[in-house]
Amino acid sequence: MSGLRSWLARRLLVGVAQTVAVVLLVFALTEALPGDAAVALAGDQPDPARIAAIREAMELDRPAGARLLDWATGLLHGDLGTSLVSGRPVSTYVADGFEPTLLLAALTLLLLVPAGVGLGVLAASYEGRWPDRVISSVTLGVYAVPEFALGTLLVTVFALRLEWFPPTAVGYGTDLLGHPAALVLPVLVLLSRPVCSLSRLVRAGMIDALASPYTAQARRYGVSGVRVVYAHALPNAVAPAAQQLARTVDWLLCGVIVVEALFVIPGLGTVLMNAVAERDVPVVQGLAVVFGLLTVVLNLGADLVAHRLAPRAEVAA
Amino acid sequence: MSAYLHPRRGRVALALLIVAVPLALALLGPLFAGEPGPRATSFTFGDGHWLGTDFVGRDVWRQTLLGGRSVVISALAATALAYLVALPVGLTAALTHRRWLEETLMRPLDVLLAVPSLLLILLVATVLEPGVLGLALLVALVNVPDAARIVRAAAAEAAARPAVEALRMQGESWWRIGVGYVGRSMLRTLAADAGVRLTGVLYLVSTAAFLGIGVTPDAADWAVMVDRNRTGLWVQPWAVVVPALLIVALTMGGNLLVDAGLRKQNTPRRKRI
Repeated sequence: MSGLRSWLARRLLVGVAQTVAVVLLVFALTEALPGDAAVALAGDQPDPARIAAIREAMELDRPAGARLLDWATGLLHGDLGTSLVSGRPVSTYVADGFEPTLLLAALTLLLLVPAGVGLGVLAASYEGRWPDRVISSVTLGVYAVPEFALGTLLVTVFALRLEWFPPTAVGYGTDLLGHPAALVLPVLVLLSRPVCSLSRLVRAGMIDALASPYTAQARRYGVSGVRVVYAHALPNAVAPAAQQLARTVDWLLCGVIVVEALFVIPGLGTVLMNAVAERDVPVVQGLAVVFGLLTVVLNLGADLVAHRLAPRAEVAA
Repeated sequence: MSAYLHPRRGRVALALLIVAVPLALALLGPLFAGEPGPRATSFTFGDGHWLGTDFVGRDVWRQTLLGGRSVVISALAATALAYLVALPVGLTAALTHRRWLEETLMRPLDVLLAVPSLLLILLVATVLEPGVLGLALLVALVNVPDAARIVRAAAAEAAARPAVEALRMQGESWWRIGVGYVGRSMLRTLAADAGVRLTGVLYLVSTAAFLGIGVTPDAADWAVMVDRNRTGLWVQPWAVVVPALLIVALTMGGNLLVDAGLRKQNTPRRKRI
């Protein structure tokens, strides 16, 4: 058990280091750049009054170290800072966009596991025959396609030609659950890449597991084919896939930003893109820290699950 | 996949077929684009514009011919740049006998891996206007940690072979061992990784361009075309559908081709995710 404890301690330490690194990186990339940040942020309207206002709001006259310390202490207390543009606290921005994004992410994750595992098992049980070939080729192809291109094509076909679903979520505000039809295309687009990667991993794992001596032995004992597949092979095939699920968090995040832009959903991704366009540094920083922290925590969780399922496997710490 | 063909060859042929059109358009298109004609009305058909006009009244076909180059060239440049940094870092980490050096080179990269790639790009885009070159640099930068890890792993495997020990005992130089032997023996792994990385870079470059990063709002770029012409989707869908289809074909065919290439090699490869 001490092995597990020390592994856990090491892994938690890495998580803490990653959190600190995210905070430092966010600050360094947005504030410690060479040149006058206030002039850069004023952008298209470089009048002296505006530059002075930005300099004062961001306290750019103080040394970077002191500002970082203040900002990090604020973060520890849950204070994400104040917007340069509207003067509202950044936490209200997060609160505004939280609900639609959470809904999208939760729905995607909820559908991702059954869809990915199902396709993977289906392909593996027909290995080399046409269902496998079709699933493998399609998942391999779709895997690399950017969400925005796939999304626009889906909108053209299903919203424009067939008129099955609304093309965007405009007019529904944050009440997306009340309009499930508006959610179909966004969730489908969000699912496209993770489902492909997951199903390919499950397929590979299942083929290995089905070819292993213990499944052959189970068959010799007369255990039914269905039981061999689902009760014996599947748990072993899913273990390596569990950790890879963490990688999909990164994609989901990219995906959420693109999908919210594409379908005009007022979630965190839209808030982030608006802040980037308005050069509202505190809002971008706050959201980046929230996103970064989420990634670190979810990665940590996935590593724990993977370690629990397959303790022998080397889990990258 | 015809019955006369081996399934793998069928897949290669299919992949080549899918990727050929966008690649040819991207590389050769600018040669045939010709001079810009006079601006017409936005989102209309006819008047010699067989794909119609775009949001500012330019010919969609001409924009399509011009718009692939930036996507393909930035992706290639970003992949090459990522290796330019990752190779020395990974090789040094693998070949050094000083543990602290290895740790100082690799640990920061491990931490960088935790930050979502698009987020890093967005952060920089808030304060700077990166431009095409800047975007390629950024995309290269976010690919460095993972590439360096692959290089280190491949080099460490080669460096542990008896041949390296023998070379060392013969008193061969570091350069001869590091580049001449270890570097050469990991070429296959690197070629496989470069293929996989290129599709990932292509994804990131085009997604960033779609979000308006590193490109001017009226740039001739497939991803920008998809974004800017969306307002006219109901009137003139071709201005959106054609570039979107080309991007789908490019990434899809590219990935199928890379995978077929990987299958041919019998070298152990890392798991595709």
